[in-house]
Amino acid sequence: MKKDRELIQEFQNGDEEAFNELVRRYLDLVHGFFQKITDDEMEAEDLAQNVFIKLFKSLKKFRFESEFNTYLYRVNANTANTYFKRNKWRNILHLDQTDEPSYVDNQQDREWKKEELWNAISKLPKKQRLVVMMRISEMLPFKDIGNILHMSEGTAKVNFHHGIKRIKVLLGIVE
Amino acid sequence: MNFESKIQQTISGSDRTIDKEKFINNLTEARYKQKLKRSQAISGILAICLIIIVGIASYIELDQGAIYSGGNFYFSDSNISNSDFDEYNLNNDYFIDDLAIYIIEEEDDIWTAFSFLDEIEYDNFINYMEEES
Repeated sequence: MKKDRELIQEFQNGDEEAFNELVRRYLDLVHGFFQKITDDEMEAEDLAQNVFIKLFKSLKKFRFESEFNTYLYRVNANTANTYFKRNKWRNILHLDQTDEPSYVDNQQDREWKKEELWNAISKLPKKQRLVVMMRISEMLPFKDIGNILHMSEGTAKVNFHHGIKRIKVLLGIVE
Repeated sequence: MNFESKIQQTISGSDRTIDKEKFINNLTEARYKQKLKRSQAISGILAICLIIIVGIASYIELDQGAIYSGGNFYFSDSNISNSDFDEYNLNNDYFIDDLAIYIIEEEDDIWTAFSFLDEIEYDNFINYMEEES
């Protein structure tokens, strides 16, 4: 089995089949990432398609300064960020239509809807949003998240901590 | 269960598989469509630029040296260089010589023809005739 680096080099030399092989290899990861962000299967597929279209353009100039995996996560994170920004108003309107949560004695035990959670995440500042998104959807270590988002491990941890705190407030969880 | 795990549990659980070959076909189609759109946009922009350039060039060319007189535009000869004009005259000297010979030959009275050529200040042939005599 060829390594990612070899496939990228072949693609850079004009072999489009090498790119298709990369798509086959990483489609589950990319598609899975967007499936977690959106409940809409079509939307997840569209976002995955956007990621691979961006990769098709950018990989021609890829200089192997970072691992392909890291680079792919970065593209994923940026695409998700754009998606959140684009749907900011739609999410707000959509949330207005959701049912009020039924009364429970302990708010901590309440099950939130996925949509409600992502709407809260989309309201976070950009850095916090990206860190929280990478951590909860991909369960990546903070060191890797720092690498992907060009920040230190400590900064990633701090952003995650503040992000989670803010999400709790947005979801109405009283600690 | 801590809050982070709870969030992870909320967002997981919908791992539907995707038909990879179908996705690649759709991706290829989308790329070609995007490429086509981009080339159409570039062609459109280039066409607009070309029209603007031709328009500006035509305007400048037509506007240069035009003299408005009596309801018409006349173009001055200022944009014709002297060297062009000299070259034109040089090429036409032989034609005018031929014309002068024709006038002399056709005229019954040779002196009338000479006086006519003298009147129009055409010296070449007169000088030649004088040298001959």
